[in-house]
Amino acid sequence: MNGDFLALLPKPPVAQVSASAPQIVQGTTVFAFHCREGVIIAGDHRATAGNTIFSDKTEKILELDSHSLMAIAGVPATAFEMARTLQTTFEYYRRSQLQSMSLQAKIRALSKLLRDNIPATLQGFGVVAPIFAGVELSDPKASPCIYFYDPLGAQFEAATYAGSGSGSGSIKSVLHYLEKWGDPPPAEMSLSDATAVAIRLLMTASEFDSATGGVNPERDMFATIKLLTRDGIRTVDIKEQERCWKEKAR
Amino acid sequence: MTEEPYRWLEAIGNRREYIREQIKGGTPVFAVSRPEGILLLGVGQGQSKVFEIYDRHAFGALGHPVDIEKIRQAAIEAAHVEGFTRSSKDVTLRRLISFALSTTLKNSFEQIFSPPLMIESIFAELGETQDEDVLVRVHYDGHHRYETDGVVIAFSEAKQEEDAVAWIRRALKAKDSLAQVASVCLTAWQALVDNKPFAELNAPEEPLVKIEGKTVEAALLDRKLSGSVHYRSLDLNRLKN
Repeated sequence: MNGDFLALLPKPPVAQVSASAPQIVQGTTVFAFHCREGVIIAGDHRATAGNTIFSDKTEKILELDSHSLMAIAGVPATAFEMARTLQTTFEYYRRSQLQSMSLQAKIRALSKLLRDNIPATLQGFGVVAPIFAGVELSDPKASPCIYFYDPLGAQFEAATYAGSGSGSGSIKSVLHYLEKWGDPPPAEMSLSDATAVAIRLLMTASEFDSATGGVNPERDMFATIKLLTRDGIRTVDIKEQERCWKEKAR
Repeated sequence: MTEEPYRWLEAIGNRREYIREQIKGGTPVFAVSRPEGILLLGVGQGQSKVFEIYDRHAFGALGHPVDIEKIRQAAIEAAHVEGFTRSSKDVTLRRLISFALSTTLKNSFEQIFSPPLMIESIFAELGETQDEDVLVRVHYDGHHRYETDGVVIAFSEAKQEEDAVAWIRRALKAKDSLAQVASVCLTAWQALVDNKPFAELNAPEEPLVKIEGKTVEAALLDRKLSGSVHYRSLDLNRLKN
């Protein structure tokens, strides 16, 4: 037994498509950055198909296991299936091998799914460009890491922050500014400061990108924000976001 | 040899005897349904006896380590393929045992020209409430029995196993802590291993948390854990009375 869950399946879990592409559901802003407590990872709630808002209640920050998160950007059908495949792959490995998969193996598992998806990516049908955050549990000194991917499967470690999706351009500029001249920079922010910044960033992105939305504290619409530390994943729930917004961001 | 029916019966009888003989030295494993979740407990010497199978499923066994591993892997594979293909809610012990495991065990037992699977096992499925917990005793020949009274033990001797289950049910009280439940299980474990009669056995006054020279392995399918995974290992020394 090698702990490879995909070997149990009769065919690859992510579809290989050759048909002409229908209108694609996509459009997103997701990002992750280091803060004092760990890695904060956040996303908006909007999914679009062309000019149409498909949903304003889409969850894009997905927990893969107790110490791994994936923020999805691109075509949800493919991205959700990739996340589901990884969830089962990581848990299957942990249970069957009686140890957690290493962080490097998890990072490559996502890379492999993206490579397997290249035919759909090249046809413009199933483009996915995710962000991954995880911790190497076997190293007691390791802290949470952020990785981002191109749609062909190349992975890059983000020293400070990463963003993906159609609205990420504007917020990456802000994060760069904060990193360079912020006082404090995001990496030194407390969780409540970082949460307030995350909400502001998503609201900024939605000003410039019609495919980013579903976050507006004035209308009680909050983001999905999660914190990853060595102890695991914690969801910054709506009440906590509301408190941070009222205290810090207004 | 199998062309003659009585020879086949004789071969099966011999096989049963052989398996029982081989399993004799194995020590028992326990599962007890409680309000907090399902406590699983085994005592070994380095080798694990209690395992996580799926989000709300666990397994404990005695027997040949290789055979325990085979059944463990088969259960994990079947559960994960089902959970991925359909959903985690579709992974139920009833389906897992009826369609995947007991047929494997029965086939293995009846293939008289190949080595048998030497294993006695218990499976547990955590429900939303204690009443919905499912405990199953599975034998090496695929025969299985659903336990409805919240206690299941796998041991090599059927009569002693039955006595131990009855004793644990009597000894446990509704408000017992997990440490007390574990202590009752360990007392029963010691009695089974020492072949002591349960009629004279009393629950220990001081909670028993260890067995000299052995490794006590305990796990809880924890009803209160948020998220999909409910299995967690327990350190008995850290449990509060």
